[in-house]
Amino acid sequence: MSGVIAGGWEYVIAAYAATAVVLGGYAASVFLRWRTERNRAAAESGGGRTT
Amino acid sequence: MAAASQGPLPKGLVAVGAVLLCIGSYWGLAQAPGEIFMGDVQRIMYVHVPTAWNAMLALTFAFVCAVFFLFTNSWKWDNRLEAAMEMGVVLSLLLCTQGAIWAKPTWGVWWDWDPRLTTTAVMVFAFGGILALRAFVDDPMKRAVWSAVACIVAFADVPIVYFSVKWWNSLHQAQSTPATVSKAFHWPLRINAFGILFLWAGLVALRTRVAALRLRSEIAPPLPAPSARGTDARASGSAW
Amino acid sequence: MTAFLTALQKDFLLQWRGRGQIVAIFAFGAATLLLFSFAIGPDSVALRQHAAGFLWLGLLLASTLSLAESFEREMEEQALEGLLLLPASARALYYGKAVANCAQLAMIGAALVPVMVVLYDAGTIRLLSLLGVIVLGTAGLSAPGTLYAAMTAQTRARQTLLPLLLFPLVVPVLLAAVKATSLLILGDPMEQLRPWASLLGAFAVVQWALGGLLFGRVVED
Repeated sequence: MSGVIAGGWEYVIAAYAATAVVLGGYAASVFLRWRTERNRAAAESGGGRTT
Repeated sequence: MAAASQGPLPKGLVAVGAVLLCIGSYWGLAQAPGEIFMGDVQRIMYVHVPTAWNAMLALTFAFVCAVFFLFTNSWKWDNRLEAAMEMGVVLSLLLCTQGAIWAKPTWGVWWDWDPRLTTTAVMVFAFGGILALRAFVDDPMKRAVWSAVACIVAFADVPIVYFSVKWWNSLHQAQSTPATVSKAFHWPLRINAFGILFLWAGLVALRTRVAALRLRSEIAPPLPAPSARGTDARASGSAW
Repeated sequence: MTAFLTALQKDFLLQWRGRGQIVAIFAFGAATLLLFSFAIGPDSVALRQHAAGFLWLGLLLASTLSLAESFEREMEEQALEGLLLLPASARALYYGKAVANCAQLAMIGAALVPVMVVLYDAGTIRLLSLLGVIVLGTAGLSAPGTLYAAMTAQTRARQTLLPLLLFPLVVPVLLAAVKATSLLILGDPMEQLRPWASLLGAFAVVQWALGGLLFGRVVED
């Protein structure tokens, strides 16, 4: 492997963008799921306790 | 205390991780010098290598949770296992994507059967399959035991897969993804590595809580009467 | 040891009684070999080149049927619970079933060899070595396969889950078995067969040990 690869910035940006989208998207999904579960648990313990 | 703990630690970890990742990425993109042969494409390494380290770390943590669960039969290890496997699959998928984006300008093809990336692809299928298994098993105990067993078998398989792919590939081509990064580039790499580490640690902690809350409602659903007392001992207490 | 032999005997007896199904699974394997040749085209050079791959892919696909079927009978009338009540250890049950599954798969593999010879013009004089590779490869398939078949037989989506779980796991078997078989068919000037066969053997050893350790937890109540 020799020679210089000129440019290629679109690939660099694609890679960083993919990283941001995947990690950000997954983080958002975890947060959303956590909020849903927490609210559901709060609503349920308001009506009937389990512990 | 009825609900799972509400501490701010996971969100703090995620925030710190995100900040570190931004700093490291900016450094790698804007400040660090371009590499001699690969020019600017090399900058992908500043996210690719940290993702690789962390994907392996997350799946190793999943393996540890699986072993601990089989020994302790404690639900908190199953909750952590679920979270860690999901995080590991996400990171591994990201790794394959980054690898393909790196390979195209470098080798001219999207996939060059590099042993590490190929092993990662196999791991995506292996651990993704275990997540699918969890979706189809209704009995929580069986689901926990089986995913722990499957996780141990899959993880033990990883070195064998890596070795066999490496050998299989070496007979066909001499290309390999460069692993070494010279000293000038260490700092952005380290910062990003810790950034992703904090990020996934925080996300796994949060995701564990999600699993714990879901499990609680599954094995001890709320009773209609307002004065009902505790039912299942295993569901109470800290489950993350 | 006697528990293992008794379990083995039980599984061989069950296989003998269900031998019609084994023939059907062989027919399925042979049909896939035929389909592969249609997919590649009537190019005898290409077919011969990749014959080993087709054989092992066909065997892998057939194994999902064979392994799933090995636990079907245990699920009927709650036979599995009955077995576990016996004083035999779960480990003996596992090894008995895994050995029986390995034997069945090896038989199907050996039966597919003439099909491969005819369809792809891909034969070898080193038949004993070929049989050895088939036995080692099917051993690597049947150990994790039996473990996962025990799990998935008790789930809702058993037909999809078993291949989904098994296929990524047995990638080393596929790589090594295809390579070894290819060397036998196309020639092995650099004596590379032994290392590939050793890889198959090492994989089998690891999987059989793991399976024996973990099976008890998989079938417990």
